[in-house]
Parts: sequence; structure tokens; C-alpha cells
Amino acid sequence: MSPFILATLLFALGLGTMITFASSHWLLAWMGLEINTLAILPLMAQHHHPRAIEATTKYFIAQATAAAMLLFASATNAWLTGQWDIQLMTHPLPVTLITLALALKMGLAPMHSWLPEVIQGVDFTTGLVLSTWQKLAPFVLLLQLQPTNSTLLLALGTASTLVGGWGGLNQTQLRKILAYSSIAHLGWMTIVLQFSPSLALLTLIVYFTMTFSAFLMFKLNNSTNLNSLAISWTKAPVATALAPLVLLSLGGLPPLTGFMSKWLILQELTKQDLMPLATLLALSALLSLYFYLRLAYSLTLTVSPNTLIGTTPWRHPTSHLTLLLSTSTVATVFLLPITPAIVTLFSLLGT
Amino acid sequence: MLKILLPTLMLIPTAWLVPGKWLWPTTLLHSLIIALISLTWLTNLSEVGWSSLGSYLATDALSTPLLVLTCWLLPLMLLASQNHTASEPINRQRMYVTLLTSLQFFLILAFGATEVIMFYVMFEATLIPTLILITRWGNQAERLNAGTYFLFYTLAGSLPLLVALLLLQNNAGSLSLLTLAYSPPMQLTTYGDKLWWAACLLAFLVKMPLYGVHLWLPKAHVEAPVAGSMILAAVLLKLGGYGMMRMLTILEPLTKELSYPFIIFALWGVLMTGSICLRQTDLKSLIAYSSVSHMGLVVGGILIQTPWGFSGALILMIAHGLTSSALFCLANTNYERTHSRTMVLARGLQMVLPLMTAWWFIASLANLALPPLPNLMGELMIIVSLFNWSWWTLALTGAGTLITAGYSLYMFLMTQRGQLPTHITALEPSHSREHLLMALHLLPLILLVLKPELIWGWTA
Repeated sequence: MSPFILATLLFALGLGTMITFASSHWLLAWMGLEINTLAILPLMAQHHHPRAIEATTKYFIAQATAAAMLLFASATNAWLTGQWDIQLMTHPLPVTLITLALALKMGLAPMHSWLPEVIQGVDFTTGLVLSTWQKLAPFVLLLQLQPTNSTLLLALGTASTLVGGWGGLNQTQLRKILAYSSIAHLGWMTIVLQFSPSLALLTLIVYFTMTFSAFLMFKLNNSTNLNSLAISWTKAPVATALAPLVLLSLGGLPPLTGFMSKWLILQELTKQDLMPLATLLALSALLSLYFYLRLAYSLTLTVSPNTLIGTTPWRHPTSHLTLLLSTSTVATVFLLPITPAIVTLFSLLGT
Repeated sequence: MLKILLPTLMLIPTAWLVPGKWLWPTTLLHSLIIALISLTWLTNLSEVGWSSLGSYLATDALSTPLLVLTCWLLPLMLLASQNHTASEPINRQRMYVTLLTSLQFFLILAFGATEVIMFYVMFEATLIPTLILITRWGNQAERLNAGTYFLFYTLAGSLPLLVALLLLQNNAGSLSLLTLAYSPPMQLTTYGDKLWWAACLLAFLVKMPLYGVHLWLPKAHVEAPVAGSMILAAVLLKLGGYGMMRMLTILEPLTKELSYPFIIFALWGVLMTGSICLRQTDLKSLIAYSSVSHMGLVVGGILIQTPWGFSGALILMIAHGLTSSALFCLANTNYERTHSRTMVLARGLQMVLPLMTAWWFIASLANLALPPLPNLMGELMIIVSLFNWSWWTLALTGAGTLITAGYSLYMFLMTQRGQLPTHITALEPSHSREHLLMALHLLPLILLVLKPELIWGWTA
């Protein structure tokens, strides 16, 4: 792809999200989402491969449906209440419709089934953009919406954590596993969204850090399925040694960073007297943990038989940029002790 | 507290920077010095209450013996692992030492914590090093299964505990162990309160482990390398007992009735796992089931909630920690020579390793609670306090003691006495390293006979 076109697309990708962030009018927010979608489509299809094209098409259809639904709901809102403001929505019908549309855009269960297929079809970098940057705009809209119907968000969130855990169990493809992990994490954020928006934002950023590390690591090892993980220690021994910690952090085990968001969310839920839900959520994390653990097993904790020559690729100098990977890995593993500082930071942002 | 914690942390750079030749001697010496310094914690024990008090960490009569045991175990684990890691690349040996050190670090923070949530986080934090120890350094392919069992049993028990603790924090306003005992008694009447009570104890009962949720333990023990088995039997199981003793002070009014099924289950478990030991063919599995059986007694002693019950439980935990760790070391010396855990294949070892037989003898006697060892003191105090609660428990505890003696004898006779099979006549003689290892396990146990008030806990 020509660098000029790439630069234009990346600019549009950022612009779309920024327009959505800055808008207080539904039409402008919708426009930002559309610019964003249209900018990512050529990036997804840049490797002209049937699977990438299929993924792009699926992504386009899902996003277009969601955007149309959003437009329809905001028009309904304007018709019912006479205003286009994102905040202070009063009528429950458009709020529910918009919540569902945004859930489809982010890939919350039960509107999730496009996400694993799409992420499996694109390369790791685009997959990373899809599961981080592309979540931001719809998530911020959902934050501003202040939904009146709390049961809907709770149902979407619980379904997502369960589906994210169960769906990943029988996958052998890494990108699908990461997609299901994304669904599960989004579920946690959705649940806490209405009780503490700043906490939801914190969870989102922590998830970004962790998934950043995971995607970059798999990209560095160039491994796309479980079997190919077994030789990743021959390519990058130190990254592979740290990999189980990154994966278990995604799974939310203390004393790693991933536990922070789970801990704070459970605390918020107990404050709201939602003990059964909190317990269910905590136990649903075990489902996800199972497939992270399986990844860790095949990455590091077992050593498969190999020829002598096969064990030496790490001796060759690598052209990969590892600064981002090392920074995000350190953040993924060691941030739990400064939880109070991070919580304070985000509660300041929230006000 | 930092006097111990910082040197423990510095063990990690030591392990990575020291020349390969000096890796084991240096880390051993370093950790032994830490262990010796940790003995100073025992000096303040005669006073009731907290000492070495900082804002997050403190010691008291309950946690000090366990802290000292933790520090004592690290040099022993290093001693025990030298031989079987010798064939690995030096970086993996350094990694191994790092893992063991991190485990000690987390355990000190867990036992020393003055906040229940901090205890919980550190309780969970020990899972990752142990998991890596089992699944990376174990020998058979089944170790992956064992690791999964270990992780998921413990987490399924302890995630409800997290929710229960957060709920407690909302109600009581604080989770500090220093003040929690003085908080006004809660009105616990509803069905939900009973669930909360169960959630508070379940994590620890799984960790102990209680009979019925113990399946992860024999698997983990059998598959783990020797250091993993040692730390698991000696300290990690005691996290469960320690946590229960801490939590029970606030669960007060409900425990009186709700603990009945758990006490009965624990005592029934003593009998059942003891009987399982009697027909074991796998040496490490036998020792693991014997741990479950002893821990059943500890659960009984703790749930009965009398001063004698608590003291007996703590004494038995410490004594069992040293004894079972010694037994796992002995099993490992056999394993390193015969490369098999099956007892039938390594009989009559008295003929080739006579001095080792002496250690086997002392360790077996400690395991069956021979007077005057602290093992007997612990069991006796627990049995007496249970008897005081209900006469009928004597049938269970008495039979349990008999079976314990039975399988200890079975283990000793099976491995040491009788004719030496012809296929193992050419065994390596025992190293002085192994004798030192056994001496460092059993001498503290014997010396504790002279000053048992160190491990009496709150009644001291």
C-alpha cells in the first residue's frame, strides 16, 4: 500500500474516533463512526487474500447494520423528544435501540459472532487495532448515554463474560482466542459501566495494555495457532518466558495487573448489593483462565522435541521493534502494587 | 519485617549475577542467613499481641512460627534441588532459584499481612510460582493436568472468598486484622449470611485440603519436583489453616452450628485418606494422602474453636510441615537413584543406604506422632479438645491415629526392610548434602520438644 494512502487512512481512522469523542449531536457521532469504519476497511483488506476480503465484508456488514440502527434510533429519538443531544436522552425506546446498536458495534454477546471470524481473517496488527482502537468510539458513546435500563447492560455484560469464556474453550486459533478474550473483557466493562464510569474506563485501558502485549508477542513469534506456539521459545526466549505472566494477567490472577480491574469491579458490585452477580462474574473468569492456561502450557511450560538447528533462531538479530512489547509487558505484569494511584488518576479523569 | 523481605528480594539479583559455579552455594548461604535472622522474630513471642508492627506487615504469636518455617524452608529446598537440576542449562537453574525465592517473598507477605485483602492477594499470588514449578519442572506429562487441577480447585474456592471479603469491607468498614477482632458482632441471620460464612471458609478448606475437595493435592504432589512438594506440604497447605484461624474470629455466632458438617467431614477424611494410604503403591502419593489425613485433624481442631484446639492445630501444622517435607526429601533421594516412585521397585534399601534408613526411621516415627515429638503434642491437644466437644469423635480420631501408625509402618517396612531386589544393587551412596538436608529438617523438630511454647500460638 502506498504510504500516502496509508497515512490518509490512518488519519481518517483517528479522525473518525475523535469526531465521535467530540460530538454532542447524534448525527455527528454517527458520522464519526462511519468515517472510522470506512477508514479501517481498506486496511483490513490490504493483503489481497480471500480470507481477509471475507473478514472485511463481514466487518462491513456488521458495522453498517449497527450504524444504520444507530441512525434509525437517533432519528426516532429526535421524532419522539425533539432533540439530537447524546446526553440527557429521556425516552427509553431509542436508548435501548442505541445500546443494542453499540453492543453490536463492539461485539458484545449475543451480537458477538462476527468478531472472532473477523479477527481471525486479518493480521495481528489490524486485529490489535480492531480489538482496541475500534472499541473506543462506541464505548465512549455508551459512557455518555447513561442508560436508564440497567438490566439490559447487566444482561449484555454477563452474557459476554460467559460467552467469551465458553467460546474460547474449543479454539485452537490464537486470533479467535484473543477475540473471545476481548468479548469477555468487554463484558466486565459493560457490567460496571452504569455504576462507575471511571472504573469502566480504567478496565478498558488495563485491557488495552494487556491485549497489546499479547498481540505483539504473538506477532513477534509469528504464531497463529496453538501448535506453532511450541517453537516460540526458539525465536524469542525471554519474551516467551514472560508470556505466561501476560496470559495469566489477561486471566486476572493476582499479583498481576489484570487482577486490578476484576478486583475493583467486584468491589463496586458488592457495594451495589449484587453479590450473586459478582460471584457469577468471578467464577466466569475461570472459564477464560482455562484457555489462557492452555496457551501458557504450550508456550512455555512444556518443551517439545526439536532438532539442534531448530533451537537456534533466537541467535539471529531480529528486525522487530520490541520497545512497545517490552513496555506493555512490564505494565501488564507489574502494575497491581500501584492500584491506588491508578484508581485516583481515573477518578480524576471521570469527574 | 523489611530486614527479611529486602534480603529475600535481593536473592533474585544474586541468583542471576553470581557465576554459574557458585550459584547453589551462594544462594544457599544467602537464604540460610535469612532463615537465621528470621529466628529473631521468635524472641518477642512471650508477649501477647503484635510485634514488628509496620503499616502493612506485623507478626504475632500465630504467624511467627509459620513465617519462620517459610524462611527455613527456602535453604532446604535449594539443598534438595541441587542434584536434579544439575543437568539443566544454567539459566534455567537461575530461573528455578528465582521462582523459589518469589514464592518465599509472597509467603512472607501473606503470613505477615495485617489486612485481610492483602493476605488474600498474596495467598493467590503464591499460585503462579507454584503452578510454574509443577508444570515446568515436573517430570511426567500428567503434570499439566495436575497444574490445571491445582489452579482451578484453589481459584474456584477462593473467588467466592474475594466477594465475601469485599462484602465484609462494606459492612465493617475495614479489613485490618488489628481491629477486626474488636469490631461489634454482626447480626447474621439470613440465608445469605450463611452463604457468606461458607464463602469465607471454603477457600481455606480447599487449600487445606478438606476431604472431598482434596483431589488436586495428591496430583500436584506426585507431579511436582521435590522443592514443589516440599513447599506445598510444608507451607502452602498451612496458608489454609492460618486463614481459617484468622477468619473464624469474625464469623463467631454462625460457626457454632454451621461447622458441624465440616468437622465431621474432616474427621471422616482422616479415616478415609488414611485407609487410602494403606493401599498406596506410589511413595509420593502415599505421603501426599498422609498430608490430607493430618490436615483433616487440623481442620477439626480449628473448627472446634477452643484455645486447645487452636494451639494443637498450630503445633500440628508446624510439626507436619517439617515432617512431611522431610518425607518428600527422602522419597526424592530414592527417586533420584531408582527413577521410580513405585515402592515395590525400591524395597530393602537398608542394605545399600543404611544411614538413610535412620532418617527414614525418625521421619516415620514423627509422622505417626511418637512421644515426645511435637507431632504428638499437636494431635493429642486436638483429640482432647474434640473429645471434650463430643465423645463420639474419639471413635474417628482414635481409629485415625491407629491407621496413621499403620501406614507409617507400612511405608517404612516397604522401603527399608526385607530383601534387596537384584536390580538395584548398584545404587549411588548417599551424599553428605542429603544427610545435611535431613538433619536440618529433623533437628528443629526434635529441638522443639524442649521449647514447645514457640509454636503454641495465642495461648503462649
